[in-house]
Amino acid sequence: MTVTPLQTKTRPIEAESPPMRLVASDASDAFRGLDDNARFRSIVMPHIDEAYRLAAWLTGNRTDAEDVVQDASIRAFRAIRNYAGGSARSWVLSIVRNTAYSWLRKNRPATVVTVEDLEAVELEQADPGDRDGDNAEAALIAKADAEQLRAAIAALPPAFRETLVLRDIEGLDYREIAQATEVPIGTVMSRLARARHRLIATIKSEQ
Amino acid sequence: MTRSDSDDKSVLLVHAYLDGELDPANALGVAQQIGKEPALALEAERIKALQQSIYRQLPREETPPGLRARIEKSVGGSRRESVWPSWRALAASIALTAIVSSSSTWFMVGAQQQPTLIADAIVSDHIRALMAPAPVDVISTDRHTVKPWFNGRITSAPRVVDLAKDDFTLIGGRVDVIARTPVSTLVYRRAKHLISLTAMPAESRFELDKSARTVSGYNVVRWVENGVSYWAVSDLEAKQLEDFARLFRTSKTEL
Repeated sequence: MTVTPLQTKTRPIEAESPPMRLVASDASDAFRGLDDNARFRSIVMPHIDEAYRLAAWLTGNRTDAEDVVQDASIRAFRAIRNYAGGSARSWVLSIVRNTAYSWLRKNRPATVVTVEDLEAVELEQADPGDRDGDNAEAALIAKADAEQLRAAIAALPPAFRETLVLRDIEGLDYREIAQATEVPIGTVMSRLARARHRLIATIKSEQ
Repeated sequence: MTRSDSDDKSVLLVHAYLDGELDPANALGVAQQIGKEPALALEAERIKALQQSIYRQLPREETPPGLRARIEKSVGGSRRESVWPSWRALAASIALTAIVSSSSTWFMVGAQQQPTLIADAIVSDHIRALMAPAPVDVISTDRHTVKPWFNGRITSAPRVVDLAKDDFTLIGGRVDVIARTPVSTLVYRRAKHLISLTAMPAESRFELDKSARTVSGYNVVRWVENGVSYWAVSDLEAKQLEDFARLFRTSKTEL
């Protein structure tokens, strides 16, 4: 017998394993009879790690991230009966990012870039997407070090940053990112492409 | 280069293709296009290089110890403001809090600044596994496959026993992280129920009562054997889970 690494999108043992009760599309089925605390533990607690990391990327600071996650948890607990199925992770992360943005507006007003600002910035700045170059370029990108990457991601406008972090660090799929960031999938795709183009341009400019 | 490049549909599709977001028919089309157009091939190379860098250089950061406990506490504090006040739920959660907090003095990990609730972490990992696309990282009913899979992932491969004749079928294993340490978890199935069996080095500070307990509605049975501390978590009835623990303890390892 050989080892079978799991593909994320396949469920080879589905037929044999118990039904995925906690991700049933009808949340009322999965959580019927659970009190708010039990729901919170099943829906929110499994995603605290992602919540913390997203908050850390959005606030740029671990201590602030802890405050945001704690605040978001309370909001999630109060709204726990509103969770209507689908990806619990997206639901939790959407609360985290909304909490992070209102926290930033209140505590770090200078750092907040609104979506309108963002679109304006987009129009002004040339997109670093580049059709020229060679394979040496890929090797150069692959050699970027941790500090360089971290700084480049931190410098992205928040809407690009959250999209890139959710995809390339947390591994969410486009649909989950669309739910978490409350935008259509097409917007997720263009934000992701722009975020990646900007990172690549930053890395190249620093070499 | 202009703004339109990021909006170019073929460029977006290359990203989607590398992210595994396309169905087979579209994926085939994009793969062919990448083969024909050097600009798209270059885009694909760049994206892959960037993803590799991020994956290698920016590991997911650990959640600070104590954050979960603080969340539980703050949520407990806001319970009164719940729109669904229920004295029974309130009483139950107070009882649960009492269990958890009395356990917390036992489940302390000495090396950490903050006490970590091992039982809570193990139950959380079990719940997370149930919500994931699959509850195991390696699928196999063969203990000779499961055991070696852990080599190189954690420092000591767990004891894996075959309990199929007793209706506990091994379905695979995964690596969980408890108190910042990767540990092995075997997953067994009984009818429609999954059992997560986590093994970690037993240290004197882990020593505690061997009785069954309940965390968040899941039964937890724990025992220590040859310097290894075992935790079994399941929604099975407590008695059946105890049976499982007894069978596991008494069966001989043939590896």
